[in-house]
Amino acid sequence: MRVLPLLPLLLSGWFVVPAHADEAQDWLKRLGQAEQQHSYQGTFVYERNGSFSTHSIWHLVQDGKVRERLMQLDGPAQEVIRADGRTECVTGKLAPRLGDVSAVAARQFDVQKLNDLYTVAMEGNSRVAGRPVAVISLAPRDQHRYGFELYLDRETGLPIKSLLLNDKGQLLERYQFTTLTTTPPDDSQLSPAAKCQPVAQADAGAKLGSTTQAWHSDWLPSGFEQVSSTVHRDPRTRIEVTSLLYDDGLTRFSVFIEPLQGAAVPDARVQLGPTAAVTRHLSTPQGDMMATVVGEIPMGTAERIALSMRVGKDDAQAKP
Amino acid sequence: MSREALQESLSAVMDNEADELELRRVLNAFDDTQTRDTWSRYQVARAVMHKDLLIPRLDIASAVSAALAEEQTPAKVVRGPWRSIGRLAVAASVTVAVLAGVRLYNQDDIVGNQLAQQNPAQSLSAPMAKGPAVLANYSENADQATGPMANGVLQGQPGWQDQRLPGYLRQHAEQAALKGAESPLPYARAASLENR
Repeated sequence: MRVLPLLPLLLSGWFVVPAHADEAQDWLKRLGQAEQQHSYQGTFVYERNGSFSTHSIWHLVQDGKVRERLMQLDGPAQEVIRADGRTECVTGKLAPRLGDVSAVAARQFDVQKLNDLYTVAMEGNSRVAGRPVAVISLAPRDQHRYGFELYLDRETGLPIKSLLLNDKGQLLERYQFTTLTTTPPDDSQLSPAAKCQPVAQADAGAKLGSTTQAWHSDWLPSGFEQVSSTVHRDPRTRIEVTSLLYDDGLTRFSVFIEPLQGAAVPDARVQLGPTAAVTRHLSTPQGDMMATVVGEIPMGTAERIALSMRVGKDDAQAKP
Repeated sequence: MSREALQESLSAVMDNEADELELRRVLNAFDDTQTRDTWSRYQVARAVMHKDLLIPRLDIASAVSAALAEEQTPAKVVRGPWRSIGRLAVAASVTVAVLAGVRLYNQDDIVGNQLAQQNPAQSLSAPMAKGPAVLANYSENADQATGPMANGVLQGQPGWQDQRLPGYLRQHAEQAALKGAESPLPYARAASLENR
């Protein structure tokens, strides 16, 4: 039987293609669990056009709970202490001016949803921060979001390098570890160095819809869902601003709506690295409003969202 | 010649499938008003089928024929040397305008980039307040279409946008970073807005 030795070869050829596709999915699953499973510490750089900064991170997983400290290494010392996805306290200028940052549950990493929105593919192997990594690409299935190239640590599945790319393949931002060890950080490394201001966790629903009308968008790119909606008074201008936050699992954008009060304001568009900001004038029965969309989404998408903002909770609910 | 044969030839001419003989036949029969009516009806049908725009009852052929019949002798065209010089001048001025436009356009880019290089390290709020010059910095990496546009709009009205946009950019970054984000990436984005 001379055919028999060939058989494994043929069979392996049969299995190679699906295995390759599954590999990317396996890495995606590992990525979704990595932050909850592994303690680590290291330093990373963040770069977008016109900005380059370096940061240290200490990440401890103990009894299923996550505790994390982030510290900026250059410029002003800014720190953030987080526990289980919630920001506990911040130092330096990062302290939110709003007074309240309403609680939003840590987003669920939904592999199925990501597959609906992005084409996930295994790109190969590489090395980042002296560690072997698997490279997977997430190419958007529509033109309403940017693509990612993720470099996942082979040992832990952590994303230790992440590139954001636009539709022309141009690099919009880079996030990349330079050192990473899986030694669990001790308590002293997790406690803040400077005076840490606690972040008030206001209830998301409490301030909603009482005096000011709710807003919704007539059109959203597929996959995006509203994760929070707040109304607050700008401390400086005393104007009530509605702010909405939307999320597709990887990307987030915010919508801010404020009344114009008679001011003549032109529409504007600004691109800051990966972040687009579009301001659009809206005429509503309540008077002229200005809608500002800010997020890591293409400019055209942001513009379309700004133009789709409508007064009222939702079409289904607005009708009696 | 039978009516049917002529109509067939007409149809063929219209579909651009007529041979030499058919074309000749149609041209010969074209002085006849009935033939011209048929022709224009075919044109309407064709326009409807192709969803083309058609101006009905526009009989250019007969109008031209009438005009030709009235004209006695063809007027001699006076073509002096100035005429060609004039044409040359027009062509030259168009060229100059195009070149100037391209140059101005490029200069805009160059000025923007130079300004961006002169101010490499600036916080978000500072350049916004300083006005249009540094805004070139922001649109530097943006698409060609959006870049100059953002420039222009913001140059025109510095007030409101300067006050609000930096605040909104920061608020978005903070919201994204502080509200239950998994990875440190949104935090890094927020920090990069606060830097310098």
